[in-house]
Amino acid sequence: MKHCDCFHCGEPVLTGSQFTTCINNNHEPMCCPGCQAVSQTIIDAGLSHYYKYRTQTGSKKTALIPDELSTFSAFDLPEVQQDFVYNDNETSSVSLSIDGITCAACAWLIEHKLKHVSGIISIHVNTTTERAQVCWLSNKINLSEILKHINEIGYRAAPYQVDEQEKQSKENSRKYLLRLGLAGFATMQVMMFALALYADFFTDLDVEYRDYFRWVSMIFAAPVIFYSAQPFYFSAIRSIFSGRLNMDVSVSIALLGAYIASCMATVNGTGEVYFESVSMFTFFLLLGRYLEQNARQKASVSSSNLHKLVPITAQLVTSTGNEEVPAKRLNLGDIIIVKPGEVVAADGVIIEGKSSINEAMITGEQIPVIKSLHQQVYAGTINVEHPITVEISAIGQDLLVSGIIRLQETASNNKPQISLYLDDISNYFTCSILTIAILTYIVWRIYWPEDAFWVTLAVLVATCPCALALATPTAVTCATGIFTRIGVIARKPGIFEKLIKIDHVVFDKTGTLTCGTLTIDDITLFSDINQEEALSIAAALESASLHPIANAFEPYQNSAFIANNQHSLVGQGLTGLINGVQYQIGSAEFIGVNNLQTQAVYLAKEAKLLAQFTLVDTIREDAIDTINTLKQNGCEISIASGDSSLHVDEIAKKVKISNVHKGLKPEDKLKLIQTLQTQYSIAMFGDGINDAPVLAGANLSVAMGSGSAMTQNSADLILLGDKLSRFNDAVYVAKLTDKIIKQNLYWALGYNLFIIPLAVTGHVLPYIAALGMSASSLIVVANSLRLLRVRL
Amino acid sequence: MNIIYVLIPIAMLFVIIAIGVFFWAVKSEQFDDLDRQSVSFLFDEDEVQVIEESTDKKLPPLD
Repeated sequence: MKHCDCFHCGEPVLTGSQFTTCINNNHEPMCCPGCQAVSQTIIDAGLSHYYKYRTQTGSKKTALIPDELSTFSAFDLPEVQQDFVYNDNETSSVSLSIDGITCAACAWLIEHKLKHVSGIISIHVNTTTERAQVCWLSNKINLSEILKHINEIGYRAAPYQVDEQEKQSKENSRKYLLRLGLAGFATMQVMMFALALYADFFTDLDVEYRDYFRWVSMIFAAPVIFYSAQPFYFSAIRSIFSGRLNMDVSVSIALLGAYIASCMATVNGTGEVYFESVSMFTFFLLLGRYLEQNARQKASVSSSNLHKLVPITAQLVTSTGNEEVPAKRLNLGDIIIVKPGEVVAADGVIIEGKSSINEAMITGEQIPVIKSLHQQVYAGTINVEHPITVEISAIGQDLLVSGIIRLQETASNNKPQISLYLDDISNYFTCSILTIAILTYIVWRIYWPEDAFWVTLAVLVATCPCALALATPTAVTCATGIFTRIGVIARKPGIFEKLIKIDHVVFDKTGTLTCGTLTIDDITLFSDINQEEALSIAAALESASLHPIANAFEPYQNSAFIANNQHSLVGQGLTGLINGVQYQIGSAEFIGVNNLQTQAVYLAKEAKLLAQFTLVDTIREDAIDTINTLKQNGCEISIASGDSSLHVDEIAKKVKISNVHKGLKPEDKLKLIQTLQTQYSIAMFGDGINDAPVLAGANLSVAMGSGSAMTQNSADLILLGDKLSRFNDAVYVAKLTDKIIKQNLYWALGYNLFIIPLAVTGHVLPYIAALGMSASSLIVVANSLRLLRVRL
Repeated sequence: MNIIYVLIPIAMLFVIIAIGVFFWAVKSEQFDDLDRQSVSFLFDEDEVQVIEESTDKKLPPLD
């Protein structure tokens, strides 16, 4: 078979030429019915330009979602909408996070697909934030239909929970850009006049012109000092009130002191002016802050986007029939029906039916648990097989999930603090500079009162903490940029200092070390059937099931084998007719064979055994490498899993981890970490809600990008693309960053130690002070930029 | 040399205009999506034709 890639998503086509779409008169191969449907929709809507101008392939549409799941009707309930839809008379607007945007062509495609749908007033897609702002007439079209239209062309749209950080930082980012732009324009002008004024040191400039240039410089520097530099003043005031001096205090004193002194010099026509120094210093500092702010903004946008708001609704049984209601409207004692594929809306007891329930959300295990009459089911778990009727026994704060959230909150409040040495340095430095400046002023005041002010100013300007103030932010900005590039989102400040201290890494098992999904590992055939046929038959039978085992067979679906009359037996297996022949697939017990192996599925034809499929939860490709590298770096490694089976030991053996803790509940995991924390600095990896408390309690927590929103909420780092090895890269970058920061600090301190004695004794000429200050800042910035050369 | 008393204020006026334009650009969200603006002109070219094509076609049924 000729090897080719899917025209839409770029993945290899394994299904031959079953699926093709006619694009610009060529039959292009597609890998799956999902991609085929998406590309057909795009072509039918006359949007073939998407394929012409895109720079990245589209994202794979995983499957054709069954009808009952692809209806977004829950989004139309007014109680659900009030959380995220903004209404104004007849028009409604919403901001949606869109998965699958890979390049500008995607934005164009979505906009053009939706622009002509009647009822939609406007749609604007932002490719940087991967979001769309949609405005529509609420009496003409429903939100669910809009979501469906976006879904048709292969993107998944959903309202999202705006991250707390993001709310604050969005406006900030724009303000910083304005301040920075203004400072940039003004600094250019001031520098130009400063050049003319520098000439004064060497040749005589007429006093008339000198004063004119000074006045012009003063006017240009004013907006920089009074508008652009505002954030430094506010930060300084805040830190003074909190009883700790930060760098911004000395920055503010130096800026205002130098500007006021220069103004006095300008008005009186004496002394020296420092307009160019203050403008340039403000510009550089702002540039660092702006980039830092932008990186943080980007991180919080991605983490908001990960928090999809999926409304949980329930089918409430009432006297007049079933009614779809939002979960928060349920009361104790209500009876609800949970269909296969639906999420249980509240904790309750099964009063009718039997089904298997996926409790991955609580335990982290993908294999469903069989639940029958009078057994407890929990909110957030997913019904897999048969409809069940549940009587609600707990709501709101009494839910099991709410208990886990409370545990998470307590854990994060009791988290041990790692003292950040940079805060201490700036505190000491600022204190000593201020003391030196005050002493200088007093001494000069006593002996040579007429020079006191100018010498003190020279001390402040020469020691002006530019280099020191820029040392950390510039390095951190560069490092955060690299993190974003390699798909690591740093959600909280201080990550770089914490990362280098980690000496014990604890992994959750499912979804972290392993992929969390089952795949077929081995096939044993028992009769004259070839492997491909066996797989196709199995896939056809399993196509009706939502069980995780069924997902393992999905890639092998073949249109030549269509099953009908499928029946499932809870926790055992499926039967169905293919081309008129009865087939069974299921557990050893179901088929009637003796076997000790737990993770195997059997296929039989009219009670005759055909094949055995062994399923495994595959270990992530890079897990072993990652763990080896961590060990080389001197880290201890442990597994903390909620699973109590032998499977944990098997995985531990494969990835060579000797410390295994299994069968742990969320609170046990937290206790384990707290015990370990007495000796080590812990980094915890997790993905499920059961990991949320332990993540909140660890010194540094890492969540997988595919993990639950709640887990990511309590994590310091999020690994997008679920690549474990990126953590090692992150540690490497953090170490480099730390090195650069230290170099910067040594340089800044060394420079200051050299210049302070000269300045205090009045030996520093003003232009030398200004030059030294600018040069030392530039050296620090250039040194930090070296970080960007790191290739990973 | 006296000409600088006229030229510098004129230069200042231009700077003020430039800053005004920059503020306007930031406030009208032109800096919010830098990835896209750089290529958006590519799509504009065939805009008219595309709209005509797409309006007369009914949306296909949902799958």
